[in-house]
Amino acid sequence: MTDIDIYPTRDLSYDFLGLRFESPFILAAAPSTDNLEMVRRAFQMGWAGAILKTTSIEGTRVDLAYPMMSTFNHDGKKLFGMGNIDLISEHHIDNVEYNVRMLKKEFPEKIVAASIMAGRKEDWQRLVERLEAAGVDFIECSFSCPQGNIGEDPGKMLAQSIPATELTARWVKEAAKRVPVSIKITPHVTDIVEVAKAVKRSGADALTASNSLQALMGIDIRTFVPYPQLNGRSTYSGMTGPAIKPITLKTISEIARNVDIPILGTGGASTWSDAVEFMAVGAGVVQFCTAVMHHGFRIIDDLKSGMSQYLDEMQFGSMKDIWRKALPHLVTHDELPRRTVRSHINDPLCIECEACYVACRDGGHMAIDRRPTRIPVVSEDRCVGCGLCEYVCPVEGCIEMRVQPMN
Amino acid sequence: MLLTPQQAVTESQRCLYCFDAPCTQACPVHIDIPKFISMIKSGNVIGAAKVVKSSHALANVCGKVCPEEIFCQSVCNRAKQDTPIHIRELHFFATQHEAKNGFASLREFPKNGKKAAVIGAGPSGLGCAFELSKLGYDVHVYDAKGLGGVPKNSIPAFRLSEEELGSDVDLLARHFHFHETSVDSEAFARIRQQHEATFIGVGLGLDKRLGITGEDLKGVYPVLEFLERAKENGSRSNFGSRVVIVGGGNVSLDAAATAKHLGAKEVTLVYRRSEMEMKVWKSELLEAKKLGVQMQFLAQPMQILGEERVRGIRCRRTRLSEKVDSTGRPVPVEVPNSDFVLDADAVVVAIGQQIHAEFVHFFERTKQGFIKVDEAFQTSLPGIFAGGDAIAGEGTIVQAVAQGKQAAHSMHEYLKDRN
Repeated sequence: MTDIDIYPTRDLSYDFLGLRFESPFILAAAPSTDNLEMVRRAFQMGWAGAILKTTSIEGTRVDLAYPMMSTFNHDGKKLFGMGNIDLISEHHIDNVEYNVRMLKKEFPEKIVAASIMAGRKEDWQRLVERLEAAGVDFIECSFSCPQGNIGEDPGKMLAQSIPATELTARWVKEAAKRVPVSIKITPHVTDIVEVAKAVKRSGADALTASNSLQALMGIDIRTFVPYPQLNGRSTYSGMTGPAIKPITLKTISEIARNVDIPILGTGGASTWSDAVEFMAVGAGVVQFCTAVMHHGFRIIDDLKSGMSQYLDEMQFGSMKDIWRKALPHLVTHDELPRRTVRSHINDPLCIECEACYVACRDGGHMAIDRRPTRIPVVSEDRCVGCGLCEYVCPVEGCIEMRVQPMN
Repeated sequence: MLLTPQQAVTESQRCLYCFDAPCTQACPVHIDIPKFISMIKSGNVIGAAKVVKSSHALANVCGKVCPEEIFCQSVCNRAKQDTPIHIRELHFFATQHEAKNGFASLREFPKNGKKAAVIGAGPSGLGCAFELSKLGYDVHVYDAKGLGGVPKNSIPAFRLSEEELGSDVDLLARHFHFHETSVDSEAFARIRQQHEATFIGVGLGLDKRLGITGEDLKGVYPVLEFLERAKENGSRSNFGSRVVIVGGGNVSLDAAATAKHLGAKEVTLVYRRSEMEMKVWKSELLEAKKLGVQMQFLAQPMQILGEERVRGIRCRRTRLSEKVDSTGRPVPVEVPNSDFVLDADAVVVAIGQQIHAEFVHFFERTKQGFIKVDEAFQTSLPGIFAGGDAIAGEGTIVQAVAQGKQAAHSMHEYLKDRN
C-alpha cells in the first residue's frame, strides 16, 4: 500500500533549450539509459528526462571488456569515485530509434534525448536524421568518451582538437533540422573556453560539460595489477562520481563566464544541493549517472523533495532563479579582496582533539599553541589566516575565520 | 535524546540505504526509513519529516516513544556489520526539526461526499480518522475523554509531554469533526445509522482485578486510575513513600517509573513469573532498574493488608512449572509455606485490562474478550470495523495507528463494493 500524498507538490518545471523540463533532473547517457524497461521505470519514478546511451552507426563494432567497473575508495567511502572502461551502447541505432519512439509515445511530457558518436561526416549526419525522425527532443554528441574514440586519431578525443570539434559540430548542426544539438566535451584540455567558443562558432545549440575524467583507479600493491583487473591486465578508466564534482564546477563556470551558450551540467552531482551548485555556476539542467548506478532511480525522491524545500526556503519562484547566481562572486585571483583574517577557536565547542594544533604546527604557520586544558589557542601574531584549521576541525562552527578591523 | 545536526548527519551516513529495507517492513506503518535517512544526509530534513509524517499519523509521538528495539532497529542490516542505525533518534531529529521550523501545511483532500464515524480518539481511531479524511470522507470522531487516548491519559508526562502529543493531534484534528461525548448502546446504534461505515477504536480502559481480599482498601489503585491521577496532578500527587506495583508488563513499568518520579522511596514490582517471561521492552526495564525499582519476581499476591487504608501486601513465592499457558510461558505454581509481607502505602494493580465500552456486547468477541475482526479489520457487524488494543490487547501506538490506517482502506473498499 502506497501512502496517500498529504503535502502539496511544488512545480519544478521550466523552459530550457526551447523544451519544457519537468525538473532539472535528467539521466546521463550511461548503462541506466541503455534499456527501454529501465528508462520506463525511471520515468515512472519521476525523472524528467533521459539521454539514451551513446549509439553509433552500422558497421561500428563495440568490443567491450569485463569487468569494467572499479572504484576510488576514499576514507571509508566506497564509491567516492567510480571508474569504468565501458564503451558506447552495444545497441544498434534501430534499437535506439525504437526506444525513442516508445518512450515518446508513453511519456510525451518527458524529455527523451539520445547520445551519438561517429567518425565520418555521413555517419554523424545519418544518426542525427534518423533520431530526429524517431522523435527525440534533443541530441547529445559525445566528442569526449575517454575510453575510446572512433575516427581518424584513435586515443585522442575529438573535443581535444579545436578545429575537429568545430568541423564535426558543424556537420551535426547542419543535419539537425528540428531539434537542438548539444556537444559533450571533456575537461582534459588546456583551455576549455577555446573549445566552448569553437562549439559556439559551429552553431551547435548547447554544450554538455563535462565527460568523465581519465584516471588510473588504483593498484593492487601485492600483485601490482591496476584496477579494474582483467586477468593481469588493466587500462585507464573514465572516473565519475563525487570525486570529480569540483572539477565539473570549474569547467561549467569557466564556460558560463566566457561563452554565451546553454550548458547541460554533468559529472559528479549526486544530491539536490549538488544540482543547485551546478545551476548556480551556469548549468541549465543537471544530468545524473553514478548516484543512480549506486542507489537506483529512487534517489529522484530526495532530489525533487530537497529542491522543493530549498526553493521554498530561498523564496525562489522558479528553478531559473538559481541560474548563474554564483558567477558574480567568481573573480580572478588578483581581483580578490585583501584583508587581515585570523583564526578564532570557539572554546565552548572545542572537544580537545588538538587536530588543529598539529595541522598548523606541521602544515601551517605554527600559530596554534597548546594549553594545559587541551583547548588550543591561536596566536594573533603568528596566524596568517590561511583557514586550514577551520577545515581540519571535526566540530562544525568551532573554528571560524574572523576578519580583523582595518588599522 | 535529541541528536545535534552533526550527529544526525554522521549517523545517517552509516545507513546502508538497503533496497526493500527490512526496517521499513518491520515498521507497522511502513515508514520509508532509508528514504528519510538519505534526506537527512542530503540536508533535506523537512523532506525527511514529511516522509515520516506521510506514513504515520502520530509521527511526533512515536519519534519520542516508539520501542524501536522491537521494530525497525531490531532488523537493521547494519547490525550485521557493526551496530544498528539509531533509527528512532533520526526520526525524532527530523520531526523535531520540523516542529521547530513550523509545521508544513497539508494539501486539500477532495471530499467524496460520504460520511464515516470513528469511535475512540486514541492512536487507532486517529490513524483511521486521518486516513479516511485523506480518502475524502467526512469523518466524525467520538470520545468522552478528548483527543489522544492512552498517550494523552496514561503515558507518563516524563515520557511524552502534552506539547509533543498536541503537535500531532492538533494537525489531525483539522481534518475531522470531533464530538467529546461518550457512546452508549443507543448512541452507537444512532452513529451506525448516520454513517456509511464506522470504526471502533475504543482501546481497553477497564483494569482487571486481582480478586483477593483487601482490594477495595484505600490506597489500592487500578493502574489506569493511578497513571491518570499522576498525570493530572503531577508533583502534587501523593501516593506515599512505599509503592508496590503488581504485574509484569510495560504498563507496570510505567507505573513503577511514575511512582519513582513522584518521589516514592521504595518502589517494588511484584510479578508471579521471572524476568525472562516479562512482556516488556528492555529499555523500560533497564530504566526502572536504574531508577531503583526493586523487583520481586516469582511472587504471587495473596492478600492486601490494612484496615481502612492499605499498609502492606502478603505474597507467596512461586516456581515455574513444566506446563505452559496459551501465551507459551510457563505456568507459575505456589510454593507452600513461603508467604512474606511487603509494607506499602499504595498498591497498584497492573495485571491487564479489558474493553471498557458499554456497546461492546453487540460484537462477537475472542476468548480473551477482545472484539473479533477478520483480516480486513471488519467485525461481526457488517460495515463496522475495529482496531487497536480493543482487538488484540495492549499493543504499541504505532501498531494501533497502522491498524486504523489499514481499516480505513478496508472501509473504503467495503463502500466501493456496495455502490
